[in-house]
Amino acid sequence: MKLNLLASALLPLSAWTQMLDPALLTKPATTSWPTYNGDYSGRRYSTLSQINQSNVRHLNLAWIFRAKVGATPNAIIGGVGKPTDEVPSDPGTSTIKATPLMVNGILYFSTPDNAWAIDARSGHELWHYYWKSKGGIHIGNRGMGMYGNWLFFETPDNYLISLDAKTGKERWHLEIADVKQEYFSTSSPIIVGNHVIVGTGGDSLDVPGFLESHDPETGKLQWKWWSEPLKKGDAGSETWPDEYAMRHGGGMTWIPGTYDPEAHLYYVGTGNPNPVLTGKSRLGDNLYTCSIVALNVDTGKLVWHFQPSPHDTHDWDAAQTPVLIDAEIDGKPRKLLGQANRNGYFFLLDRLTGKNVVTAPMIKTMNWSKGIAANGQPIPNSSKEASIPGVLVSPPTGGATNWPPPSYDPDTGYFYVGTSQQFSMFYLTDTDPHPEGWGAAERDAGWFGGDLEAIDIKTGKVVWDHHYPFTGGPVGILTTAGKLLFTGDGSQHLVAFDPANGEILWHAGLADDVSNGPETYTLDGLQYLTVGAGDSLYSFVVEN
Amino acid sequence: MITIKLHAAALALATIPLAFSQTPPPKYDPASVERGRATFASTCGFCHGASAKGGEKGPDLLRSVLVLHDEHGESIGPVILNGRPAKGMPHFALSPAQITDIANFLHASVLSAEDRDNYKILNIVTGDAKAGAAYFAANCQSCHSVTGDLKGIAAKYDPATLQGRFIEPNQSQSEGITVTVTLPSGESFTGVPVNYDDFNVSLRDAKGDYHAFRRTKDTKVELHNRFQAHLDLVLRYSDDDIHNLTAYLVTLK
Repeated sequence: MKLNLLASALLPLSAWTQMLDPALLTKPATTSWPTYNGDYSGRRYSTLSQINQSNVRHLNLAWIFRAKVGATPNAIIGGVGKPTDEVPSDPGTSTIKATPLMVNGILYFSTPDNAWAIDARSGHELWHYYWKSKGGIHIGNRGMGMYGNWLFFETPDNYLISLDAKTGKERWHLEIADVKQEYFSTSSPIIVGNHVIVGTGGDSLDVPGFLESHDPETGKLQWKWWSEPLKKGDAGSETWPDEYAMRHGGGMTWIPGTYDPEAHLYYVGTGNPNPVLTGKSRLGDNLYTCSIVALNVDTGKLVWHFQPSPHDTHDWDAAQTPVLIDAEIDGKPRKLLGQANRNGYFFLLDRLTGKNVVTAPMIKTMNWSKGIAANGQPIPNSSKEASIPGVLVSPPTGGATNWPPPSYDPDTGYFYVGTSQQFSMFYLTDTDPHPEGWGAAERDAGWFGGDLEAIDIKTGKVVWDHHYPFTGGPVGILTTAGKLLFTGDGSQHLVAFDPANGEILWHAGLADDVSNGPETYTLDGLQYLTVGAGDSLYSFVVEN
Repeated sequence: MITIKLHAAALALATIPLAFSQTPPPKYDPASVERGRATFASTCGFCHGASAKGGEKGPDLLRSVLVLHDEHGESIGPVILNGRPAKGMPHFALSPAQITDIANFLHASVLSAEDRDNYKILNIVTGDAKAGAAYFAANCQSCHSVTGDLKGIAAKYDPATLQGRFIEPNQSQSEGITVTVTLPSGESFTGVPVNYDDFNVSLRDAKGDYHAFRRTKDTKVELHNRFQAHLDLVLRYSDDDIHNLTAYLVTLK
């Protein structure tokens, strides 16, 4: 305890000038990592090349930070739940799924109910904040958002909490959703201008999803966008049988979105409709669930939508990061958006109009669609909806991929994503005309391994893949101008690949599987590579 | 114990492991829930439906925010006792014990809707046993015999478990897997993999000895899956094949 205080006291004064420069958010970060994806594009491509193919074999561990969750002796304690001395046993609470922010030499990150500031040079803890929870599913937390000196993160019991970055002391908290209705929040707030944009999750009961924006100073609600129409006549209401179905229709905003400052549009993917695995009480496409949507960032008004899984009945959220890509298509420069979707398809859209450019399958086992419609939407085969005797479907509910962040490398023109090839049996269990919750049971039915895939965005073709017979699957990825791709292999290694051809160039053994998206930045002119694996952060450098 | 994990569940966004080996004790006293179900059906079911999912006049109580916030009847009770005259709901003079039972029934019903790990699979035996026998003869008979290894198999497993066993017989990704490592010298080791990745492979051989190897381009590593034929079938089954085969196998009592 004393050591920590001493360490803080020894920091030079300049280290406390943590004010985040808003301009950092509109250009690729090099000396900071100021937002969940590093910049607004969601590419997770860094222009840094100090660590590159010629020296990556000299990449060395600088430090490890082990995150101890709960009411630790030094913790700043907040929250509205009952006091508890117990250290939470749920591994979701201690697993680092957040991508830490790095601003002015300090890393900021969170796990469910917990937040930390640590010195990015040494890995020393500056403060730890612990939130006494009322409940909610403690499965994961994507991290924090930062506006000036203020930090923001969400909790499983659906509070948006603002902390003073300097001290870790709470500024305010407010409730964004009702944990008793089985909402639980995992997303990382994204700051755009003076908007703190937050989403929520939870699909155990049948509640509607939303995205909302808060004032960073006061927390006041600025706008709220519901991911379903609320009444007949609203846009999208024609895709639901009745108001009751749409008001209980799901569509969670699990994962932070991306932002195009020129178009002034915020892009986010929405989750599955409810009831989850049976669609008989919600006939129709169920807009705007399982959709990629573009919202005006100042008003929250919908500008366009594209729905990767119309009338989803397999829990295939379209929440995966909508990655903003500038590239030439047929010789013309285009503003594009790519998404590797949980349903097994890769989608490339025009991000100004939402019009489809490419739809292509990412996995060979996929068996739920009858093909691709003229507008680029897959056509669901209704015979693959859960039945009493069971149907065999690939991918299973977990999807071909999932929340871990993919990457787009403008040097190769490839989109990188971790996938898995798997089947499940889906058995209808709720035969009521108005099923509730999930409505069907799922059982594992065959595993065909995982792959790290490089997808040519222009054709959707898999250019190379690295197959894992037992592991692989969704995992966070970073690409850099050093012609390197960093990711985990599911066997407790951090691995560097050649993004052009998939050749392995370097690896390091960790104490757990890579559990977040790797990130990079320079400090004092030295490039760091930092990754979360289980309850620890690892930071690597090439020393001269 | 192999370190290979069922990682899909671990990484999935909102996926909770699909099967639990043990069922926790019920959160609400089953006897109280059943009394509550009966009282609810006779007193409230006319408007709210016997399952409380809503009826002609009354709303769905399993999606009621008041019910979801109630713990032990403290919010539900006053509504029952006082009614909601403005909305046309009459009052009912139920005893505190009856109110507790109804609250337990409603909360247990909510729990059973949201708790997908404990959903009960219904009757999956709907297929054509004759077609299943033909499928078995064509696809399974080269390894299995209904009078040999599968004799009485249907007496051992309920239909859903039996179906699960033929679709995916391995209970973990590593079950049934062996690995053979051949060194540049020609020396060869075969056993159950303990670790398998791009950099290292290790195994435990038939004698129980542990062997670990660094993978190089001159070290040959081969995997064998005892259940490969089952995995191959997963890519070929129609849903009817699965239903028919199940209908046939359940006759092997």
